[in-house]
Amino acid sequence: MIVRNLFMRQSRQLIALNRQAPVFTRSLSTEVASDTITQTPSVGSAEIAQSPVEQGIQTTSTVPEPRPLKQWDALEKRRHKFNTLGSKVQESYDPENVLRNPPKPADVTLEMLLAAGTHMGHSTSRWNPQNSRYIFGIREGIHIISLDVTAAYLRRAAKVVEEVAARGGIILFAGTRKGQKRSVVRAAELAKGYHIFERWIPGSLTNGQQILGHCKTKVVNALDQELSKFRVDLADRPSIKPDLVVVLNPLENVVLLHECGLNNVPTIGIIDTDADPTRVTYPIPANDDTLRGTNLIAGILGRAGEAGQARRLKMAQEGKTTYEPITARQLRLDPLTGTPPPGSELEKSERD
Amino acid sequence: MGKINLTALRVRKTALNQFASGKINKLPQWVDVVGQIPPSEALIRTPSPQHQLVRQRMKTVAGSSKPQVVFEVQEKPRKSKKPSRLFQPVELKYEEDELRHTFFRDHPWELARPRVLLESTGKDHEHYDWSRITQPGKRLDGESVVQRQLWLLNNVPDMTKSNAYDIARREFYRLRLQEDIQRRVAAEEAEATGAQFGPSYLEVGMELENQQYEKWKAWAKTQAQLFDQRTAALSGAPEVALEQQSQEEAFAEPPEAVTV
Repeated sequence: MIVRNLFMRQSRQLIALNRQAPVFTRSLSTEVASDTITQTPSVGSAEIAQSPVEQGIQTTSTVPEPRPLKQWDALEKRRHKFNTLGSKVQESYDPENVLRNPPKPADVTLEMLLAAGTHMGHSTSRWNPQNSRYIFGIREGIHIISLDVTAAYLRRAAKVVEEVAARGGIILFAGTRKGQKRSVVRAAELAKGYHIFERWIPGSLTNGQQILGHCKTKVVNALDQELSKFRVDLADRPSIKPDLVVVLNPLENVVLLHECGLNNVPTIGIIDTDADPTRVTYPIPANDDTLRGTNLIAGILGRAGEAGQARRLKMAQEGKTTYEPITARQLRLDPLTGTPPPGSELEKSERD
Repeated sequence: MGKINLTALRVRKTALNQFASGKINKLPQWVDVVGQIPPSEALIRTPSPQHQLVRQRMKTVAGSSKPQVVFEVQEKPRKSKKPSRLFQPVELKYEEDELRHTFFRDHPWELARPRVLLESTGKDHEHYDWSRITQPGKRLDGESVVQRQLWLLNNVPDMTKSNAYDIARREFYRLRLQEDIQRRVAAEEAEATGAQFGPSYLEVGMELENQQYEKWKAWAKTQAQLFDQRTAALSGAPEVALEQQSQEEAFAEPPEAVTV
């Protein structure tokens, strides 16, 4: 029962009287009291209506418009005043957050993995028994992946990414499913690696000269600054091969993993309960069908790569490297024969 | 290559062999990384984790005045003793499962209510205290009844399942009734302050039905006319039939509108 309308409801006669409605009902209703509409215009207002120019002058002179800056200030003040009112949403889930600010490998918790849904495998009939050691149990007809195993394998994979990045290795992130594009690009951006989000062109490793031969390469020093004087020596080099490949969907990228095997490249992959764990060097047992989960895992690996790159650059500034740097002579040697190319400056200097 | 391809797991060994045999003249950067952080063992089966159904109860023991916490383990008879079954994953079972089954069997329409499945942090359970049925940040639903019933079973001395179900259900019904009243009052308040909710589902349905009825009426009229025409022609009064025909032409309704 609404008390404030009780009076109005019970006494129609009072409302029937044409009079000013009480303030409290007027503020709640959109209707305007009829008195103001039927009000006969006074003589003075009729005069003003005849000369609209005068009217404009009169209104501006009586009520001066506040300046825009002042209006803005008043708005800001009001906003500041009422900002604390209302409820506060705590711990809200923002899907962009894992892309914008992915967690570090040390911050991985089982709750985080659980919330991302990495524990859900496939239907029990579709399992690959090679994954039995990663499986915690059966629930509602699907296999549940053990979250502590996922966390352990994820940390191990992150460590590998970090170490490879610290040694200046080339890391390739591949995620070719719909929706994985942004996370793959973000991870590559963090780890200063490379990314594939469309399709792995078969033969990019085994037939790299034909497929990637036209791609641009550059020589950099330990501080990642380009050395342009070696540009001529890169003309007939074989295409560059990655030192580590991270695959978010190994099921669709069997060709990529096969080529990595042929070219002896270590791989990291998210292995669902229906995938073959021996396809990759470092499996991460997790659900590869949830974008939230793959985004999280890609972000964690990207963060690990970022840490490795930071370490490498810091050491390089101190004049140290964790890897054996390639010499200028090695760069200038013919990649096929291993001798100085005929007619080059290197050959002349060696002859003398 | 046999059935199992171990190439990926043996990258380091292959790289070392290639270097030793002179196929590659420089070891890759990652060789010592893979040496320090070796890939885990694969293809080795471990006995799958076994899950037992454990029930926690408070019971009054004859000797002492204070009720004691008792854990009852349900030993499930293993289905098969075959060694090959040793490595197969086991079904996960919890005590809530049967409580949930009972509740949703009795209240199937509770499943039709919208529900939030998204987890923000995965730590929602930390804020819940099931000594009360309402929880901060959680909508009242069937799961609340199940968790409340479980809490009663675990913490109240000598509680039976049906008793706990009745207590939890009663609290749930009370709150649901309160929600209904709140909703009704809110609608009433909104209407009083000028809101218009439009026609209800029943009114919309009646309107549609009326439209169909009007269509049928038009169709029936033409049918009746045709019938009259035919009987008049047969009874040997052609002038009546001709008159009616001219009327019908004037009426001229498209035949598509006569579908029922």
